[in-house]
Amino acid sequence: MTHLIRELQKREEKLFHCVHCGFCLPACPTYTRLGDEADSPRGRLHFMRAIVEGRLEPDSPAVTRHLDRCLGCRACESVCPSGVEYGQLLEGAREVVARAGGASFLTRLLPAVMGRPVLLRPAMLLARIVRGTGILDRAVRRLSGEGWSGQVRLGLGMMAATSPPRLLSRSMSPNELLGPEEKMDAEMPGETMGHGTRAAVFKGCVQEGLLGRVNHATARVLNANGFKVVDVPGQGCCGAVHAHTGGLKGARELARRNIRAFERAGAGVVAVNAAGCGATMKEYPHLLGDDPEYGTRARDLAARVRDISEILGTADVRVGGRLPMRVTYDAPCHLLHAQRISAQPLAMLESVPGLELVPLRGHEECCGGAGVYGITHPELGGRIGKDKVRAIVSTGAQAVATGNPGCMMQIGAGLRMAGVAVDVVHPVELLDESYRRGGLYR
Amino acid sequence: MDGNDLTEPLPLQLLRDLQAAVGTDWIFSDPDRMVVYETDAQTAHSQAPHAVVLPATTEEASEVVHALHGHGILMIPRGAGTGLSGGAVALRGGVVVGTSRMTGILEVDHENRRALVQCGVLNNDLNAAVAPYGLHYAPDPSSQSACTIGGNVAENSGGPHCLKYGVTSRYVTALRVVLPDGRVTWLGGQGREQGAFDLAGLFVGSEGCFGLATEVEVALLPLPEAARTLLVIFETIEDAGRAVTAIISRGLLPAALEIVDRNTIRAVEASIFAAGYPTDAGAALVVEFDGVEAGLERHAEEAARCCLDAGAREVRHAESDQERMALWKGRKKAFGAMGRLAPDLLVQDATVPRSRLPGVLARISEIARRYDLQVANVFHAGDGNLHPNLVYDRRDPEEGRRVEQASAEIMKVCVEAGGTITGEHGVGVDKRKYMHLVFSPAELEILRGVKQVFDPMGLCNPGKVLPDGQEAP
Ligand SMILES: Cc1cc2nc3c(=O)[nH]c(=O)nc-3n(C[C@H](O)[C@H](O)[C@H](O)COP(=O)(O)OP(=O)(O)OC[C@H]3O[C@@H](n4cnc5c(N)ncnc54)[C@H](O)[C@@H]3O)c2cc1C
Ligand code: SF4
Ligand code: SF4
Repeated sequence: MTHLIRELQKREEKLFHCVHCGFCLPACPTYTRLGDEADSPRGRLHFMRAIVEGRLEPDSPAVTRHLDRCLGCRACESVCPSGVEYGQLLEGAREVVARAGGASFLTRLLPAVMGRPVLLRPAMLLARIVRGTGILDRAVRRLSGEGWSGQVRLGLGMMAATSPPRLLSRSMSPNELLGPEEKMDAEMPGETMGHGTRAAVFKGCVQEGLLGRVNHATARVLNANGFKVVDVPGQGCCGAVHAHTGGLKGARELARRNIRAFERAGAGVVAVNAAGCGATMKEYPHLLGDDPEYGTRARDLAARVRDISEILGTADVRVGGRLPMRVTYDAPCHLLHAQRISAQPLAMLESVPGLELVPLRGHEECCGGAGVYGITHPELGGRIGKDKVRAIVSTGAQAVATGNPGCMMQIGAGLRMAGVAVDVVHPVELLDESYRRGGLYR
Repeated sequence: MDGNDLTEPLPLQLLRDLQAAVGTDWIFSDPDRMVVYETDAQTAHSQAPHAVVLPATTEEASEVVHALHGHGILMIPRGAGTGLSGGAVALRGGVVVGTSRMTGILEVDHENRRALVQCGVLNNDLNAAVAPYGLHYAPDPSSQSACTIGGNVAENSGGPHCLKYGVTSRYVTALRVVLPDGRVTWLGGQGREQGAFDLAGLFVGSEGCFGLATEVEVALLPLPEAARTLLVIFETIEDAGRAVTAIISRGLLPAALEIVDRNTIRAVEASIFAAGYPTDAGAALVVEFDGVEAGLERHAEEAARCCLDAGAREVRHAESDQERMALWKGRKKAFGAMGRLAPDLLVQDATVPRSRLPGVLARISEIARRYDLQVANVFHAGDGNLHPNLVYDRRDPEEGRRVEQASAEIMKVCVEAGGTITGEHGVGVDKRKYMHLVFSPAELEILRGVKQVFDPMGLCNPGKVLPDGQEAP
């Protein structure tokens, strides 16, 4: 235990940046709902400081409970005038809590599966088969929302939420990133933003397993914009879930694997369509800061990582066909707060002709997804999730766009449980659909 | 009485009574959990309470306070804990009554420009609720995104625009209060502003020592039609001080006059709220005029001339609303940004007559130099409200002592210049030791008497405001 506390102590300087001003309180979804300082960013930082100062034991139930209850949404970072790097401090503290035995079974199971392709692939295949039977939606309708059954229902709803949206056409190439029938228009516009740059698509674990269609859309849209999309074998889970649940060692292992894979591919740009993965990969230099062999290589990869909206949310993006849809946008925390990307996804959506973008109240607040938060914290996660669903419904949108698989699943599950027929899509899917309708693909 | 024994747990019957009042979810007493309640935004004073209770309504709060009173247990009101004088700290143990669940906006009467809110409503949220009616709540503490109206009432808070609009006391028209024995009463109220003693006025600024304000009725103002904002850059802070004196003595009435010095500029510019202040400047002055469009331009021009005469290096005009917001954001987040200078911060808060500003500022620089400390000045210069902030690292006890001494000297300088020991952050724990500098023995006697009327058993937020011989020298 003491070496872990030392780990936190190394971050002490960062803890001391907190001047206790309290500006972060109103931004925190757990504080605004519970009203308890212990569930606020300032309170959680205070716990960490008390541990470092030796006034609290890291396995104190109070510390465990309140750190565990943090969504990791990092909304507190966006409003902190003092620049406290809460996310990084939390990772360190979570490791301390996990070692002290405070992490739940699920929080330990998930990273174990996600980091291991031998376990992940069959699990995802099974999930796809079950999803195909339509049994999930029926179960979500039948199961009660109370107690254990409610947690199971949410889990099934999250899986069901990965089904293709009803409003978009279904054309998929199952295994390759670019099937022959989906090659872009032979007629390239004079100037494309890509200029033939080699671009790799980071596939992710859940994204590739359950939302492969988003990866395909990403590749097609990049290709249509003049990028040469290259396949990168050997890539895998980014390690976010590991890092967030206190498994820093596992996270580092996965980071090294990805660094090797992308180095071999030699891509100028690594396009990421999962905000959580993008945030983690941009923070590889921090994760591997002390690694003599990988430190610089991590910086090199991080410098090439771009969220897909950073690439496409510009004036140069190609314009597709009309897509007359009423759409609202929910900002993934790991895009807005961790990567500080706010305007580009909107610009991307606004570039679609005919698409009506309606603002979402509370779009900057966490949807309650945060990995499997809804399952580990059913009551609080449920409240946060319901607030999000209510806001979405009040926009009257046909679809809600958000650029992160966890958020797509959480919001999709929430909508299903509320019996609301609103599609959940990734912004890049809308661009893709508009390209298809505009005849940009052949 | 000296407070509740910190080693003794609360009586079981009391815990049961409190649970009956608010439900089991809203009372916490696990000692480890109490650690996060040991300070407010002023971390120099720290003591964890015995328990925390979060009532949701006036009725629940009344039951809670009644139970505490019956058991002789201390009651400490707490809003958002952004206070800067240790006001919400359970210095002598007891139970913190938090208002974080009392966040209802009960009524917006836009025709009569009044609103009734629960005490835990954030200053910003009140403004957001009344903005659709073209109205605003004028007192704008720099902490307005986080602090509660109840806290504002207790501290009689001010803010940058209070130069023109006045502080909280001018806007509170009625209060619903839970007295320290649990009784509930209205103070002030419609049609009762005139005549009798002004009880609501007495309660405003009572720093949680007279009971818990649960509902607050406030007067609202129409949003100003237009504004002009200038950012003026100076080589030295003394020049900036002279410009302020010149602007005021010319008879101009800006809505705000704010100074930030070099150290502050550097901290802000390094933060996410960077507003484009030049980091090599000695000081920057923000001047704002607001109101009806006619005449604004001329006033802004005149103020700019005053600044140039006082030696300003550059005058910038905010060209858009966006620029204006960015510029203000930098100023309002200045204190928070100081975490970038050093781990700890002693925030000072004193007022001096405006005309004495340049002299006092020079003295403060001199004191900081002598004690080998970094001082970062941010202040509401228009009303002479100084915030010389001393940055330090509390892990170095010797530096901590120097901060204490320097801070006491600064206070003395301000008082000698005809000023007082607090502009807006309150006395709290922090400034009790300076009370005798500004209040005569007779005044202190009256203050004690008033406290006695509200709280004869001395159970409500003890150890604050009034010196009782137990304050640090
Ligand atoms: C960065 C920063 C900038 C600031 N800028 C300003 C500024 O420009 N102007 C200014 O005036 N202040 C400023 N402050 C100080 C502080 O924000 C104000 O004093 C604010 O009014 C405190 O509100 P709170 O809700 O945080 O109260 P708390 O800090 O929780 O409590 C303050 C005091 O009020 C009492 N109290 C709280 N609620 C109630 C209630 N309902 N009934 C009775 N008593 C109650 C408490 O017991 C305590 O004594 C600043 C603070 C920070 C951190
Ligand atoms: S906003 Fe930043 S400095 Fe202020 S309390 Fe929160 S984490 Fe600390
Ligand atoms: S990460 Fe999110 S939930 Fe956690 S403390 Fe920050 S704002 Fe609150």
